[in-house]
Amino acid sequence: MADKEQGDVSSQQNNPLSRKLNKILETRLDNDKDMLEALKALSGFFSANNLRSRRNLRSDIEKKSLAINEEFLSAFQAVKEQLDSVYGDVQAMNDCCSDMTNRLKAAKAQTHHLMSQTTKLHAESQTLQMKEQVANAFLEKFQLKSDEIKTLRGPRDGKLHEDFFKVLARVKQIHSDCKVLLRTNQQTAGLEIMEAMALQMESAYERLYRWTQNECRILTSDSPDISPVLCQALEASQDRPVLFKYSLDEYGTARRSAVVRGFIDALTRGGPGGTPRPIELHSHDPLRYSGDMLAWVHQATASEKEYLQTLLRLCEASNASFEELLGHITEGICRPFKVRVEQVLVSEQEAVTLYKLDNLLKFYHHTIGQIVSSDSAILTTIAEVQDLSHRMFFNSLSCHANRLLDKVDLPPADLGPTSSLTQTLQLLRDVLACHDASVVPVDDKKQDYKQILSCVIDPLLQMCSMSASRLNTVDMAAYMINCIYLIQSTLALYQFTDTRLEMLQAQTDAHVDTLTSEQAAYVLNRVGLTLLYNGVQQQAELQAPLSHLQGMDSITVKSAMNKFDSYLASPDSLTLPQCSLLLGTLVRETLKRRSVELICQAYQQMYAAITNPKHEYKDTQAIVPRTPEQVSKLLA
Amino acid sequence: MAAGPYNYSYIFKYIIIGDMGVGKSCLLHQFTEKKFMADCPHTIGVEFGTRIIEVTGQKIKLQIWDTAGQERFRAVTRSYYRGAAGALMVYDITRRSTYNHLSSWLTDARNLTNPNTVIFLIGNKCDLDAQRDVTYEEAKQFAEENGLMFLECSAKTGENVEDAFLDTAKKIYQNIQDGSLDLNAAESGVQHKPATPRSPISNDQPPSKEGCAC
Ligand SMILES: Nc1nc2c(ncn2[C@@H]2O[C@H](COP(=O)(O)OP(=O)(O)OP(=O)(O)O)[C@@H](O)[C@H]2O)c(=O)[nH]1
Ligand SMILES: [Mg+2]
Repeated sequence: MADKEQGDVSSQQNNPLSRKLNKILETRLDNDKDMLEALKALSGFFSANNLRSRRNLRSDIEKKSLAINEEFLSAFQAVKEQLDSVYGDVQAMNDCCSDMTNRLKAAKAQTHHLMSQTTKLHAESQTLQMKEQVANAFLEKFQLKSDEIKTLRGPRDGKLHEDFFKVLARVKQIHSDCKVLLRTNQQTAGLEIMEAMALQMESAYERLYRWTQNECRILTSDSPDISPVLCQALEASQDRPVLFKYSLDEYGTARRSAVVRGFIDALTRGGPGGTPRPIELHSHDPLRYSGDMLAWVHQATASEKEYLQTLLRLCEASNASFEELLGHITEGICRPFKVRVEQVLVSEQEAVTLYKLDNLLKFYHHTIGQIVSSDSAILTTIAEVQDLSHRMFFNSLSCHANRLLDKVDLPPADLGPTSSLTQTLQLLRDVLACHDASVVPVDDKKQDYKQILSCVIDPLLQMCSMSASRLNTVDMAAYMINCIYLIQSTLALYQFTDTRLEMLQAQTDAHVDTLTSEQAAYVLNRVGLTLLYNGVQQQAELQAPLSHLQGMDSITVKSAMNKFDSYLASPDSLTLPQCSLLLGTLVRETLKRRSVELICQAYQQMYAAITNPKHEYKDTQAIVPRTPEQVSKLLA
Repeated sequence: MAAGPYNYSYIFKYIIIGDMGVGKSCLLHQFTEKKFMADCPHTIGVEFGTRIIEVTGQKIKLQIWDTAGQERFRAVTRSYYRGAAGALMVYDITRRSTYNHLSSWLTDARNLTNPNTVIFLIGNKCDLDAQRDVTYEEAKQFAEENGLMFLECSAKTGENVEDAFLDTAKKIYQNIQDGSLDLNAAESGVQHKPATPRSPISNDQPPSKEGCAC
């Protein structure tokens, strides 16, 4: 069956009609949109199906198509026109662009020069900026700012501010920095700046000086208010030694008058309500009056030194100028001080008071000398019045000593001291005692003692000798021993009297020798042995035996020896009255001992002579029953 | 610059008195140097020390005069009482004799200083309590009877030394505040350094050229 069908189909296809028909039959109108559109469009104008219309259909359609094409054409005409205008615009734009490109090119060509100029300028500006920085730095370093200048000139009231010193230091710095400039090729600038700074400095120093001077001038109160700014001002002034010196002079003058005023006030006005009392109220008491003045001077000097140290604490003022200034400040009180002390000294008669004053002045000379220099006026003044007091003292001592020699008293019956001796020794004691209580260095003391002793002791001894000159030997010796003894015992209490004591001892010894032999002779004489003793002494020159000589025969000698024996029983019975008047126990004993020695010696010689057969004494045992040893023992 | 040891508004003058060897110089040394001087020689005449202290915010410079206690210097030291604002009267608690002499020292102090002088009694060497010869109570009573301030101190250990000096200064300062101490009077023992600026000196006057080479 399929073959048949296939055969059918192929035969049908070969037939054009059938093909056509098939095609038409196969046409699915529903799906052919074009066809549907076409039919729809056809139905728009093919309103009536008639012959004419069928005949004219083609032309109608063609007409219609033509109309449409015409419409289309006209529509496109508009489009074309528009496109043409767009084209024209684009063309214009293109022209414009190329014109611009050209112009840009030209501009670029032109700016190239500009650019390079700018770069150059830029570089130039950088250099300039750098230069500006350098210039600023230079100005910073070498010029003062306006407020600095203002500080330097100062406010109208003339006060000095601390900043002043900073600026001044800067001016100085700049001035010295300019020297660096002078070594470079900036010499003109250097010179100019230097000159400007020099001017600034001058006026600044001028101002500084005036301020300092004024400030110093008013430091006249008891205790000056030394401000830190003033110290700085002086420190800064040091660069101008002359100004510095004048400022200090001003200070010195102010302080000097303050010190004088203070001194006069203390002398005449005293403290509040009169306590402490004015120093002059004690002018009747020489020691207190002078002591108060000296203590005041001491304290004022110490205080002034402190103030001065405060003032100059920032300065390197030399020691010499410091001392000089302190000397100047304290110089003012010299006159009022000296006048008063001199008056005290010349109206004082008492040696002891004068000596105390002398010591006081010496002490203060030493004490104040530790504060001020040795060539300061105040110290010289104290030395002067001390010298005066020294002379017045020795003057008074010498006067006293001279009076001793003018009127020499006779020695009293007891051979003791005269009243002028005791008085003088009392004076000496008083004088030496006040040295004991004094405050003076030992060296001075030694020197003084020597001088005092020779001033008093020598005339004293002279006086004693003169007063003793009318006495017999024994009285004189005893009297001198007594006088010297008193002098010795006075001196023995003090230092530095050893040489004197030695000398006095030698004199005593001489007198003791005299007295010793007098005592021994007295004993021999009283027992009647003088003749025999003298004979024994001279036996060498005698031809005959002693017993043959007159007064030396056995019987006489025997009776004398008997008397001697009773002396041995009570030796004190034959003591010279002058010897018992001796004041010193030691001297009395020495005398006794040595006269006994002498007597023993004499006895021994006589004993030897008597027992010697050459002298032909009989029964010597009866004449001299005691051996010399026994006699010594008895007398010891 | 404004600081430092040189700025003070008052100077008070002190005097230290008492028998020899009671430790006056040691007290001064302890106060000024904060050290004990074990073998201190006898003072010859007078010596002098300073220190700046602060009392209720005021800087005060103390100018202290240390006197010799030895009798032979009495005539010299008496002249230094004048114008003292404070007197420190010292005895040694281990030596009764130094205490017994106080009345004579006190008489001197009263006669020779001004009525406002502050007198401070110090019993020194209180470190030597074992050798004590004067009781605290006894001295305290003496001080009260005579209107004195009183402390026991030791120059060796430093105990109470500051207080003695400072309390004296406080009392003096108080007297100034009360107005009982007249600063203007000479020899009050106190000197005032005005802290307030003075009337400024005008600089407008023509510069004085005399004597100036510049
Ligand atoms: N244990 C002890 N010893 C002291 C104290 N203070 C002083 N001394 C000793 O006491 C002695 C005398 O002291 P100084 O300060 O010289 O006495 P002074 O009162 O100044 O004596 P003068 O100058 O002669 O009047 C010294 O050997 C000191 O060492 C103290 O607080 N304790
Ligand atoms: Mg001392």
